[in-house]
Amino acid sequence: MWKQLRDAARRAKRNPLTATGMSLVTLFLLIAILAPWIAPYPRDTLAVHPDEVFSPPSMKNWFGTDELGRDIFSRVVFGTRISLRIGTIVVVLALAIGIPLGLIAGTFGGLLDEILMRVTDMFLSFPPLLLAMAISATLGASLENAMIAIAIAWWPWYARLIRSEALSIRERDYVEAARAAGATWGRLLFRHVLPNSLGPVIVQASMDFGSVILTSASLSFLGLGAQPPTPEWGLMINIGRHYFLTHWWIITFPGLAILITVLSFNITGDGLQEILDPKAKRG
Amino acid sequence: MLSYIVRRLLIGVLSLFGASVIAFTLTRIIPSDPADMWMGPRATVEQIERAHVELGLDKPIPVQYGIYMSKFLRGDWGISVVTKQPVLRDLAGYLPASIELIVFGMLVGFAVGIPLGILSAAKPGRWVDHTSRVFAITGVALPSFWLAMLLQLVLGKELSLFPLIGRVDLLVEIMNPIRRITGLYVFDSLITGNFAALKDALWHIVLPGLTLAMYPLGLATRMVRTSMLEVLREDYIRTARASGVREAKVLTVYALRNALGPVLTVAALTFGYSLVSTFLIESLFAWPGLGRYAAKAIVSVDYPAIMGVTLLVAAFYVILNLGVDLIQAVMDPRIRWS
Amino acid sequence: MKRGASAFWVRIGLASLFLVLAVFTLSIVATGEELQVAVHLQGAEVVPYWDPSDGASGEIGLMNNLYEALLRYDAVTNTFTPILAMSYEQSEDAKTWTFKLRKGVKFHTGNVMDAHTVKASIDRTIERDRGSAYIWSPVDSIEVVDDYTVRFHLRQSAPLDLIVAAGYCAYIFDPEYSDHDWFNAGNDSGTGPYTVESSEGSEKVIIKKFDDYWGGWEGKHFDRVVFLSVPEASTRRLMLETGDADFCEQLPSTDIEALQDNSTVRVEVNPSFQNLMVLYNNQRAPLDNALVRRALSYLIPYEDTVAVALGGHGHVSRGVIPYGLWGHSDRVETFTYSPTVAKALLTQAGYPDGGFKFLLTYPAGYEDLRKTVELWKAACAELNITLDARAMPTAERNAIARSPDPVKRQDIYLLYWWPDYANPDSFLSGMFYTQERPAYNLGYYSNPVFDALIDYAVTLPAGSQEAIDLMVELQNILQRDAAGIAVWDMQYLRAMNTSVQGYVDNAAYPNVVFWYNCYRE
Repeated sequence: MWKQLRDAARRAKRNPLTATGMSLVTLFLLIAILAPWIAPYPRDTLAVHPDEVFSPPSMKNWFGTDELGRDIFSRVVFGTRISLRIGTIVVVLALAIGIPLGLIAGTFGGLLDEILMRVTDMFLSFPPLLLAMAISATLGASLENAMIAIAIAWWPWYARLIRSEALSIRERDYVEAARAAGATWGRLLFRHVLPNSLGPVIVQASMDFGSVILTSASLSFLGLGAQPPTPEWGLMINIGRHYFLTHWWIITFPGLAILITVLSFNITGDGLQEILDPKAKRG
Repeated sequence: MLSYIVRRLLIGVLSLFGASVIAFTLTRIIPSDPADMWMGPRATVEQIERAHVELGLDKPIPVQYGIYMSKFLRGDWGISVVTKQPVLRDLAGYLPASIELIVFGMLVGFAVGIPLGILSAAKPGRWVDHTSRVFAITGVALPSFWLAMLLQLVLGKELSLFPLIGRVDLLVEIMNPIRRITGLYVFDSLITGNFAALKDALWHIVLPGLTLAMYPLGLATRMVRTSMLEVLREDYIRTARASGVREAKVLTVYALRNALGPVLTVAALTFGYSLVSTFLIESLFAWPGLGRYAAKAIVSVDYPAIMGVTLLVAAFYVILNLGVDLIQAVMDPRIRWS
Repeated sequence: MKRGASAFWVRIGLASLFLVLAVFTLSIVATGEELQVAVHLQGAEVVPYWDPSDGASGEIGLMNNLYEALLRYDAVTNTFTPILAMSYEQSEDAKTWTFKLRKGVKFHTGNVMDAHTVKASIDRTIERDRGSAYIWSPVDSIEVVDDYTVRFHLRQSAPLDLIVAAGYCAYIFDPEYSDHDWFNAGNDSGTGPYTVESSEGSEKVIIKKFDDYWGGWEGKHFDRVVFLSVPEASTRRLMLETGDADFCEQLPSTDIEALQDNSTVRVEVNPSFQNLMVLYNNQRAPLDNALVRRALSYLIPYEDTVAVALGGHGHVSRGVIPYGLWGHSDRVETFTYSPTVAKALLTQAGYPDGGFKFLLTYPAGYEDLRKTVELWKAACAELNITLDARAMPTAERNAIARSPDPVKRQDIYLLYWWPDYANPDSFLSGMFYTQERPAYNLGYYSNPVFDALIDYAVTLPAGSQEAIDLMVELQNILQRDAAGIAVWDMQYLRAMNTSVQGYVDNAAYPNVVFWYNCYRE
């Protein structure tokens, strides 16, 4: 296993794109953790400054101020925290629902499998954003509900993925051998099937981190996610749409933040896939 | 083969049915009192109650669902609470605008993405490859609503190159009205010889079309590159090269032919994705399409409109996926037996 | 490349170039007459209601160009202009009103307008009972005295001249062409100067001049008017700047500021009867305690909200009746922004450290409202009070507010209010008269003394000294109870192209441009 990791690290170094991606992700995490110390005006997540509305970018406010006088740079920095939270919670939630269901379906097959397949078909017949929008609207517009909504839209992909992995593993020799030796299903599941099927799912989840952030920003843009005054990037753009033609800085910086974050996660996820399984059919 | 098609069709119908149940349940769970939209913003208590009866909201939910579905199957998709028009008529009116936009976006995306992918695969590791890969990854990572605003700001306002909103200029519409044949303004004006409107319609579709093109561009570049790289490694390619076939011919004739399969898959996927993407950008461009209608319906909790849009989009999605599966089954018989 | 191949590509290139040039040249073909076209922009839907009997909201701008009423009211001069009625008289007790109609008026359908059509129109509106039709509730019956004389018999005295001049539900249309579905298909049967030429959903309507209009077409007029709904305020503003639009109602104050420097755009700041109302849930602790309600009312930074949210275009409210409407008075008590007083009141109520969380719902999509809420929220946070503010679509807010289970209702409800016609009672009874099943009394306020006074107030002649004094007293009851308060009275911000002349803003017809009176210089 160490040899695999060493090979992987060597391959990573040779790929500048992936290296860039990973450094950006690290930067993102650092900013999120150190937000209160990096942001020059940490109170601007809530406080308003009616005298300083719509200041263009300057030495005092690097990214300018918004329609209530709040420092945009500070808000973008705190938005990093929110995006990190969103990505993590959604992915973990989706995995928590998808993995058990997919695992059981793939391992035991039969009627359970059929039911799961039909249910995921139903969910997958919706474009994920549409489903997330509908659920968000139902639960009520808030960041928490948006996260639940996206997780509900996302889990079928993971269920399907792990199911097909579990299916193929089930047929392997060592599993047959274990069965023949009298191992219980539980033991089979946890000792053999699960560890070996997790790989592609983890890779997919890390690639999805960026898409989740993008989906959440889209929901906030529609007014279905974070509520004011939360410094969520999508919401900042949603509010900025009223002013951007005269005050360009209000949407530019949050949008750049989304782009760079999603980009870095996508590149990293791509790179991860190449590293862990260079012969896999990508795309 | 036939049994495969039949099976997939049945699954598709089942999925649509399930989708309708989900959508209906969701819209009914949202606490919503559309009486004010139906009766007006000063509705009295009596008017509010009458609205509930007229809108069928006083019945239990399963009954409401039954009534809705029985009408739906007979072509009555309900009346939109916002526009007060039959939902089916609204959808028929707004669909062509979205189709036109999506088709334009996809055409542009593929026209740029496919050659880019080919070039990238032809010279892997060089700067062309790296730039196109960045392009590809950026394309799918770009928040479309943000790009739309940037294009409006820079190309529309600052440089005044393109109009900011709408499908045609109001003056052009009054002086040279487009005869509505398909509802696709570019097409209709072309075949009716209405060149003033044609030019205007083209000019208006540029900004929203470019916004929508980024995702297909990104995806196409990447898929074509991946497929081409694989195909180029095959033996028969080496043979062709060894026997003196020129590189350009190798790339276009031999390799591309095999790479086209995944491209079709991408086309189907991006169409579905773009359908929903239009929700985000049509409002910004005041583009009178399905997306704008849907976004308004969701924000106003317009039940019948939400149901109509959801089912229409789900139907598209199901048909697209079915098409993709069928194409893949035709091309790779192994899939049919799984 | 082989020569054959390159020649092929060259030919393709030339052909495309030729095609592009052809399209460009052909597109410059000029067409006929010089039409005068005006473009009128709105943020909301142009026609939420096509049926003239049903109207109540955003269609007022369009409808008042297609249809006409008997009279038109000028809120500033408090006078009436005869439109479809030439003159009128009322009985001593104001319960019988007789109108003499204008002769020679044609509907767009070709039929003639007379007393029968007037009676039929209003009867239909009353019978359909939708939208603002309740304005006709004082009417007992309508009598056709002769072909051009109509008499209204009322149950109680009421200012019928104001009612027949209402912006909604007072239109006269051709009863022969009054099928609801026919209207919804985009047709109109009014007497107004314009008629519908084409429409696209409820977002775009093009109207053209009606040649047989009784007012005639001498002088300069617009031949066509386009009503267009553009939700993005920034885009509306840009269209004005580029000259693509001629008139825009209600731009946010920030856009108005930006337009002040533009020489092609004229900005007008006009009075309105619209205000922002805050309704506290009077039935739920701790808001059932007047001290707590008053404390919260002292936490709204009134001056800042007008400055930041309205850009200075408005007044801090003084009582629930807005500035400019009779009944508004300096004798009404008012709240100011004072955190110290708020804290003292909270302490007196037994909550020295605050510690509340209130669910506040407000209409989604209005920037000035959102900013006001955020300013209030920040001020409350200082005293450890959390305002859980949610922007929601109206349907959802009202479902929560009217929920039969009081537990599900909100703590604080915000809304814009404006009267259907220039009538202060609208502000008082609409939101504060006891309602068993609430319609708009969404603070669930119930005060029998207040109710009794309202019942008495409607019997008094409008605008009389006794009526005004009563209005003052009613507003002060509300202020002392802090049942609900008004935050600011807004002004209407209009922007139009300087070439457009003839526009007069009339607060009695909010957001209406009578395009017949306008022309391009």
